[in-house]
Order: sequence, then structure tokens, then C-alpha cells
Amino acid sequence: MKNWFRLHLLALTRTIGSLFRHPLGSLLNLLVIGITTALPLALWTLIMSVSQISDQVSVEPELSVFLRHSATAEDVKGLQATLKADARWLKVEFIPKANALAALQANLGASDLTAGLAENPLPDAFVLQAKENDPAGLEALKKELSSIVIIEEVQLDSDWAERLARITDLGRAIFEVLASLLALALVLITGNAIRMQILTRRDEIEVAKLIGATDSFIRRPFMHAALVQGLLGGGVAVLIVWGLVAYVNPTVIELASAYGQSVSLLAPDALTIVVVCLASAVLCLIGASLAVSRYLYQFR
Amino acid sequence: MIQFQQVSKSYPGGFDAIKNLSFEVPDGELVFLAGHSGAGKSTLLKLMAGIEKPSSGAVLLNGQNLARMSRASLPFVRRHIGLIFQDHKILYDRNVFDNVRLPLDIIGFDHMEGRRRVLAALDKVGLAGKEKLNPVSLSGGEQQRLCIARAVVHRPSILLADEPTANLDSDYAHDILELFKSFHQVGVTILISAHDESLMMDYGRRILRLKHGQFCA
Ligand SMILES: Nc1ncnc2c1ncn2[C@@H]1O[C@H](COP(=O)(O)OP(=O)(O)OP(=O)(O)O)[C@@H](O)[C@H]1O
Ligand SMILES: [Mg+2]
Repeated sequence: MKNWFRLHLLALTRTIGSLFRHPLGSLLNLLVIGITTALPLALWTLIMSVSQISDQVSVEPELSVFLRHSATAEDVKGLQATLKADARWLKVEFIPKANALAALQANLGASDLTAGLAENPLPDAFVLQAKENDPAGLEALKKELSSIVIIEEVQLDSDWAERLARITDLGRAIFEVLASLLALALVLITGNAIRMQILTRRDEIEVAKLIGATDSFIRRPFMHAALVQGLLGGGVAVLIVWGLVAYVNPTVIELASAYGQSVSLLAPDALTIVVVCLASAVLCLIGASLAVSRYLYQFR
Repeated sequence: MIQFQQVSKSYPGGFDAIKNLSFEVPDGELVFLAGHSGAGKSTLLKLMAGIEKPSSGAVLLNGQNLARMSRASLPFVRRHIGLIFQDHKILYDRNVFDNVRLPLDIIGFDHMEGRRRVLAALDKVGLAGKEKLNPVSLSGGEQQRLCIARAVVHRPSILLADEPTANLDSDYAHDILELFKSFHQVGVTILISAHDESLMMDYGRRILRLKHGQFCA
């Protein structure tokens, strides 16, 4: 057992040594593995970031109620009193049009937005939150509100959350297909890389077999190489996605804040990093194993 | 004990390299194998090591039929055999030390003890101090000695040497044969093939003479 461990350790140090002996080839290999793995990881990061928004929204969906410009101050007061008295509402917030305009100006950073306008184009609005959040109930409430004369439009914000959730579902489906294809690609890529390594060590393998090497002795160094390359390649993928997130995040944050949202892409967390590195290592091991088995088979 | 029971070997293409040979080599014997080029010497040694399989008949090592052995157990049989190949099969991508070390790596030998063994084997064949050299920088005779060191480093009980004296002058060839004699003295079973029968005469050992795959007088 101790000997087995020592043998593996020895082979592993040799593998890492040989990585440094062919730095360019190793680097190219790592980049190929890293880029292949980075594509699904980037998509996954995007999906997670987006679904985080829709999750946030759909927990406490709000109804935005926009009033007609023709509504008088008394109408508004009357409606506010009715809504407040209605036990089905958890929260009733009135947003006068002046406040809405001020908020918009603050968000857009455009102080002269209203300069050219004779009057405030925004309507008075209520933001409501229901006690019960089941979609059918919300839909009924929305209908009921729409029938009130002074109400121009009712928007259920879980509508777009729902739409966003649909999009992330689609994203997930695309992710699954893409990840499967690229997993296959990774197996083939490492299989081929290991096949090349085998060919350059053909003489050594032949002699070793002739003087009593078992198949696992032949297999071992290549599996180690695949393991190390897979783990490091996964690391490269994480670095690529990190760089990508850092690069596009300022733009995303700016864009989101224009819509009054605070949204940013999430960098891969520790668990994701571990899973990515392990997955890439396992796929590389499969590729290497296939390449070595195939070679050993035709060697007989 | 090595036994050949009516062994024939024909290579793909129908050429009979070995024709119906039966003989035995008891443990600890030193036997020479003589014959013209193409007589089947290398083929016979390869059959003994299980590198080639007989077309008919059986090759037995200590009573075990090599052809019946599982693929997984053949490597472990090979570890009891030291092989010196006619084409050397030296690895030129590593130094002399690492070439000799290969059989010990395969066995999974202890590192420090393995080091001592390699240096002892190199010393034995007269290559002490050359362990760091690349094999290309060795002379033909020295390369031959390197092959011998690699074949004996793991202390096999059988040594199969395919033309270890080829292309060497007769003094040097005798040096090499003396080396084999010293292994024989510690109980190793040895087969040595050569074209040149005159070299073997001085040793008074059994000589198997091959001609077109058959024994002749
Ligand atoms: N792998 C092979 N495939 C086909 N024919 C072979 C093969 N190996 C050997 N032979 C043939 O078998 C015959 C015996 O070959 P072998 O190598 O055993 O001769 P040898 O006595 O060792 O000759 P030499 O002294 O030249 O090494 C030769 O005619 C050779 O052409
Ligand atoms: Mg020969």
C-alpha cells in the first residue's frame, strides 16, 4: 500500500516535471481544455445570475397600478382609502407622479429631462402587494383593478419574472446540450492528446511490455498526465470566466441601474469551481483511458 | 526448467521459422544456440519468453504452458526472465542509469535499494561511472554491456541473450561470455545465441545447432 502510494507520487512528480519540460505544448493543451470547459461554465454563470433576479422578484410579486391623467385628487384619495380598507392587500403604497419623475431623473442622471416639457408626463401610481401570491389569485386581482374607471393600466411584475424564468429554462436546456457536446469534445481532445503522447513514447512502452510491465504500469503515467491536465484545465476555465465576469460586470451594473435594478453577474462560487475542475478531470481521464486501452489492444 | 514439446512456429505468410522442435533446458544450465542467419534463433528465444506464440506444440516454463497463461499473468512470468534483444532496444531518451532502472520500476522496487542494484549491475558489466551518460555516447560493446546490465538488474532466474557478441572482436566477445559464465555460476539458467560457433567451442557446453528451423548435428 505504501509502495503503491509512493509509485503514484513518483509518477505524479514526473508528470508535473514533464509539463514543465514541454511548456508550450502543455500551455496549449491547458488552454484548449480551459476554453472548452469555460464555454458551458460561462453560460451556467449567466443562467445563475439571471435566475437569481427572477427568483428575487417572484417571491414577493408586486402590482403596479397606473392612474389616468384625468383622475382628480379626490378620486385618488377615495381609491387609496378603498385599497387600504381591503384586507387582501398587504401593502398599499402611493407614488405621486412628482415623486416618480424625481426618481426617474435620479436614475438616469438627467436633470434637464423635464426642461422641454410643459407638464409631468408620468401618471400617479400605486404599488400593491397581495397577501396571497398564487398566480391565479393575482391574475383575478389584476382583472378586478383594471375594471375601475380611473385606473389606466395594471402591471403584474411577476409577469416579466415569469418570462425571465422561461428564458432561463431555455438557457438551461441549451446549457445541457452544450455541456454534453463539449464534454464529448473534451474526451476526444484529451484522447487525441494522449494518443500523441503515447506515440512519442512507443519505444519505451514496447520495451516495458517485453520485460514484464503490466497494462496498468503502462497506463499510469498517461492517467496522471490526464488528471493533472484536467484539473489545471478546469482552473484555466474558472480563470477565463472570472475574467469575463469582471470584464462585463461594470456594463451590466450600469445597464441594470438604468432600469432601477441592482443586478450583477455572479462569479463562480467555490462549489462550482470544485465541480468544474473535477468534471474536467474526470472527462480527461476517460479520454486518456480510451486512448491507452485502444493502444494496448492493438499492441497485442 | 524450460521445455519445448513439438513446437512449430510459422509466421503470417506461411513461413516456418521453427519446425517441430522438442528439447529441455534444466535449471541452472548454460546452453548455446548456434545457426545461420534466418535459422530461427531469435524466434526460438522469443517463444521461450512468451513474446511469440507457437503455431503448434507447447512451450513450458517450470511446467506452465505459456500459451495457456492469461494475458494478465504473462508480465509476472516475464519478470523472472532477463532478456537481451538482438536489436538492443535501448532507450535513447534517457541516460544509462535510467535504462538499467526500467525493470526495477516495472516491479515497483524500493527507490534507494533500486539505486544500489543499478549501480551494482553497471559495475558488474564494467560500466561503473558511466551511469549519467546518454547511451548514444557508448561504444557498440558498451551498449551491449548496458543491455546485459538491464537484463540482470532484477536478478532473473533465466537469462535469454540474443547474439550478445554480434559485431564484437573475439577478445571483447570472450569478455562478454565470461560475464555470462559468472551469472551461470550463481545458478542462472542461460541461453546465448550466436552465428559464430567457434566462440562457443572453448566453453565445453551444450550447443543447440539450428538449421532452417530444425536441429542438426
Ligand atoms: N515477425 C516475423 N514475421 C515474418 N517472418 C519472420 C518474422 N520474424 C522472423 N521471421 C522469419 O523467420 C525466420 C527466422 O527468423 P529469426 O529472426 O528467428 O532468425 P535468426 O536465426 O535469429 O537470424 P539472425 O541470425 O539473422 O538474427 C527468418 O527467415 C525470418 O525471415
Ligand atoms: Mg536473430
